[in-house]
Amino acid sequence: MKKRPDLYTNYRNESSIFPTTFQKFWFGLLLVSSFAAPFILSSYWVLLITTSLLIAIASWGLNVVSGYAGQVNLGHGVFVGIGTYVSSVLGGVATTSVIGYELDMIIWLPLSGLAATLIGIILSPVSARLKGLNLGLVTLALVFIGSHFFSNLKFITGGAGLGRKAAKLTFMGIDLEAGITFGNFILEKNDFIYFFSLILCILLGLGVKNITRSKIGRAFSAIRDRDIAAEALGINLFKYKMYAFGISSFYGGIAGSLLFTLSGGVEPGSFSLLYSITFVAIVIIGGVGTVLGPLFGAFFFTMLPGIIQALLHAFGVGDAGFIFNPAEIERIVFAFFIIFFLIFEPRGMWGIWFRLRNYFKAWPFSY
Amino acid sequence: MTVFLQATFEGLSLGAIYSLVAIGFVLIYKATDVLSFAQPALAVVGAGIISGLAVDRGVPFWLALIIGIVFTGLIGLLVERTFLRPMVGEPVFSVAILTIGIDILLRTILNKWIGIDPRYLGDPFPSFGNFGSFDVSGVTLKYLEIAALITALVLIGILGVFFKRSKYGIAMRATSFDQEAALAQGINVGRVFGLVWLIAGILAGFSGFFITGGFNTLTQASFISALRALPAVVIGGLDSIAGAVVGSLIIGLTQGYIAYYQLPLESIVGFTLGSGFSLIAPYLVMFIILLIKPDGLFGTKEVERV
Repeated sequence: MKKRPDLYTNYRNESSIFPTTFQKFWFGLLLVSSFAAPFILSSYWVLLITTSLLIAIASWGLNVVSGYAGQVNLGHGVFVGIGTYVSSVLGGVATTSVIGYELDMIIWLPLSGLAATLIGIILSPVSARLKGLNLGLVTLALVFIGSHFFSNLKFITGGAGLGRKAAKLTFMGIDLEAGITFGNFILEKNDFIYFFSLILCILLGLGVKNITRSKIGRAFSAIRDRDIAAEALGINLFKYKMYAFGISSFYGGIAGSLLFTLSGGVEPGSFSLLYSITFVAIVIIGGVGTVLGPLFGAFFFTMLPGIIQALLHAFGVGDAGFIFNPAEIERIVFAFFIIFFLIFEPRGMWGIWFRLRNYFKAWPFSY
Repeated sequence: MTVFLQATFEGLSLGAIYSLVAIGFVLIYKATDVLSFAQPALAVVGAGIISGLAVDRGVPFWLALIIGIVFTGLIGLLVERTFLRPMVGEPVFSVAILTIGIDILLRTILNKWIGIDPRYLGDPFPSFGNFGSFDVSGVTLKYLEIAALITALVLIGILGVFFKRSKYGIAMRATSFDQEAALAQGINVGRVFGLVWLIAGILAGFSGFFITGGFNTLTQASFISALRALPAVVIGGLDSIAGAVVGSLIIGLTQGYIAYYQLPLESIVGFTLGSGFSLIAPYLVMFIILLIKPDGLFGTKEVERV
């Protein structure tokens, strides 16, 4: 058996999280190198990777509801926003204009996820009543209603254009804001956020993988493929759509709570229509209905500004010497990627990865 | 009573503007099964072309208006030919997301040109009467809003005749009924798709002008106004032109009444709904109507088979 890793003799083996030793090895290597990363890489890269990991968590959430369960959601950014503001209120510092309770991270992190879940569950009956495009349009309405609340609940959010500070990083009574010195190493605030994000990313990523191979995941796929047929098979649509929205918003909320702790402050204008669309685009560019896809998409999205800057420098184009500035080029490239992936590679970057992998698996045979 | 009439008038003219975008949405959805999120972007691009020609290049305004609207239609045609033709037969939602990509693309380029300062369109409406408006027993009527109402009525009339009488209008109706059957009857379905986008683009161009004309000005946020035609379409039902018009009027009037009555009402009930509530009220109305009637007020109920 050891010599034939692709031979599965039972279902349990085939559906295990890491079916081959090859995958176990590379995953282990990735784990070790990611835990060592802050000691090796510069703080700029740590910041980028942390952002990617958190965006990947949020995108996984959207992927659960849209990719696996097939329920269109154009308002995922709102759940990220809810997570952000719950964490900011519970963990943030009170000022004359905003409230804050300076609680421990161990309290605000789960609560921000749970608060988003609650809103998701409250809204999920809508998806039981509506389907397809109409559901998409209602979630679009959610973006506008959400940003209206965000900019008008001034005692929570600080109001449009002003914003507030995000949650303070206190873990189990230890204040991590200023960083901690271990011998020669100084671990800064962002390094700690990196570790938290990494652990969350591993746990939640394995969580997604686990959902797909469980009863709930199979129910999601059935609903996505044909909801009426799923109902005829005895799947309770209402219940499972509620699960899908609940899980999805939990991921969004958790990601949101840490995402803005990283940048330190949050302004209600962040949660615009484009912000929500970004998650849809990340899932599409990465690969709909896959576990690795959103991770690829999130890294691509976060690295894109850097790649464009590097390319501009490589071609000797200064910031002023070109019609569009880097931020605009980034948006144009992003829009083109959405369009081209949808037309030419609907399975996203995961699809490219999949074909590449299979090509080398059969090397030197191309069939 | 004066306030009521004022709100009604402004609501109706807003509704007329929305109905132009909304009809574009419905035409595209009916003929090609695509929900185009790019329509608001087309509207502001049209306004941008008009402003660029009339203000920056000094082209006479009426000529600029015509060129701008025709160009918007051609951009619509181009978008269909390049990006949407390869997507025929793909899932509706993928295509909808693709149009979001087009929307981001068009608006990024346009926003670069608009910059920070609001752009005027160079139209003569503000110079008519008393800063572009006149009073009828206390109610202020803007020439631009009256023009919007009349234009919308005329365009809807022309479209009605076009669908009933002309060869291509009938071809469009056949295509929206069943694309393959229409093809089998010798209708050039591809040309119909292009034509639909052309018409939708022209309608978007008109609405773009009325949204940003006069003192409204073209800014980076103007497209949000055009996007409000989306709830209008959904309220009316995605596949009903009459529904699009009714939905637009509902949305326009809701927005008008709330803009005028929010403050007095808030002082009675004692809590505030926040500034700019009139702008999100359309979405709330859509939310409620969809929960009661999932296919909209006039939409055909979809029969689903396993």
